[in-house]
Amino acid sequence: MTASSTFAIASRDELWLHGTLMESRLMHGEARQHGQVIDATDARDERLVRACDDAIDAVAPAIAALHDARVRTVVRATREDGVESVETTMTIAIGGLSVVTTPADAPVDSALLRTLAEAKPAMSIFSLPIVWQNGSAAVLLHEAIGHANEHGAAPVSWPAWLSVDAPLVTRRETFRDAPLPRMTHLLARQTGAPFAPPDECIEVQLIAGGAYDPVTDVVTINVAVSSAGPFTIRRTRAQIAAALAGAAGEPIRYPGVICSREGQELYVASHAPLMITDALT
Amino acid sequence: MTGVYRKWGRVVRYENGVIVHVEEAGEASETDGVFRAKPAQTRVSVPHLQAREVEAFVAQTLLSVRPSVIERLIVSDGIARHETDGVTWTEESRRVHVALVNPLINPPLRVLIDLASFDISVIETIAAALARAGDERAAPSRIRLAPNVSAALLPALAGELAMEQTGGGFDGKGQPIETRAVTSDPPPNWYRPGYAVRPVRAWLNIRALPFGSIDASAPVAVALLAPVDGTILRVLCVDGNEIFPTTLDATRIGAVARGEPAWYPYEAGSFGAEMML
Repeated sequence: MTASSTFAIASRDELWLHGTLMESRLMHGEARQHGQVIDATDARDERLVRACDDAIDAVAPAIAALHDARVRTVVRATREDGVESVETTMTIAIGGLSVVTTPADAPVDSALLRTLAEAKPAMSIFSLPIVWQNGSAAVLLHEAIGHANEHGAAPVSWPAWLSVDAPLVTRRETFRDAPLPRMTHLLARQTGAPFAPPDECIEVQLIAGGAYDPVTDVVTINVAVSSAGPFTIRRTRAQIAAALAGAAGEPIRYPGVICSREGQELYVASHAPLMITDALT
Repeated sequence: MTGVYRKWGRVVRYENGVIVHVEEAGEASETDGVFRAKPAQTRVSVPHLQAREVEAFVAQTLLSVRPSVIERLIVSDGIARHETDGVTWTEESRRVHVALVNPLINPPLRVLIDLASFDISVIETIAAALARAGDERAAPSRIRLAPNVSAALLPALAGELAMEQTGGGFDGKGQPIETRAVTSDPPPNWYRPGYAVRPVRAWLNIRALPFGSIDASAPVAVALLAPVDGTILRVLCVDGNEIFPTTLDATRIGAVARGEPAWYPYEAGSFGAEMML
């Protein structure tokens, strides 16, 4: 945390249901921090508001194509100590499932969602190895490595073939919030990992959510779609690290993650290769 | 189109070592089913809040919880003026959230405390119990719930336990809140936790109606160890000199104490009174 800093934000947030606008919000404000004290007001920065307006207009065609979905679009234009950025995210829900994506990836990710919403479990839950498809292992590692780093957790021995880039920077959701060290993205790679597809396995396609508890060191993953239907994993980081059995290929973009910590929701881009773990159920 | 709702407010918040002063104004409206919210352009004078009382309570709390460790401490003091359909009202609010951990037992134990007042005695009582906590045990057959525990449970018991909405003040649409029996009918009032949140019908400031008798010698659940899950409670239980974590199903309430209950910030407001399972 710097001794003195200024953060300004404007955001537009729209909720569309089956092509009809249901909710629309504008928010703007500025936070000036001096040491451990933040003075925050709802000051309006015209440049940031305009950036939000432009971005929300640009996403209209993508929303129009999603007439069968519930779509929440959030545009955040921020300036922190002179550095500006604009971020647009779309949370798309179809058939009780949801993904977080960007306007550019919305067509592909909504198509995936429609396919998954129609999928039926092919088996019951057994204690079987898990194959993490669609980059979904990124969520497992987001909790077990990313959040653990945010909390300064003790080291755990991860496989030598795994490398994870999940840098922490100071981030906040709104001008009202205290900034925290948070991930901007998580990119997992494998180098020379073993890969022996199991004869029987659970194939995970989509994650509903996850959590890391810094007190117990337990990671929770709620699987939304798998060949065995929805299920929950609760394991310590050490157990998860020991269960990583292999991986293959380049990192796959997982339809992003909205990460919530201290009530502050932020988008974290997530990529991981196809990965295999031993049974975790 | 329904009336425009406006809110002007200031808050001082301590959050894990940082003091945040926030001043903002917002307005919301609903037209043809579309809810819209934005910062308000008009300004209304709202009293300035000093950080002194927040800082003093934080200091007291930090001293009171030893040897437990504070995982999370959020303390706020706020004032807001509301206006809608020609009705104006002012609210003052205090909120305290503490997550305390005893790291000396395996697995470490965390208690969750949520208050609407700067009441250090509740925190001291729970911290002292947490410091002496032992191993997990089965739930006692008869157990009391402390008011801070019963208040968290109460919203889950709507329809299962006789309770009423407590009258006083205004709801999120500027309508007076009247004392009413909580029934399965749609609630008459609206809950608006913030100007940018679409209001929803809700029973406000609920309280259980007293009945039966409390056995003061029964073990007591003094604090939550996890958020309430339906009617399942993970609690820290004090039974004489024995203190232990346990899990219980609080579906059947055997008694609710008389006396003046305290208000807690659970859901749309909940009054906590000692209960007996």
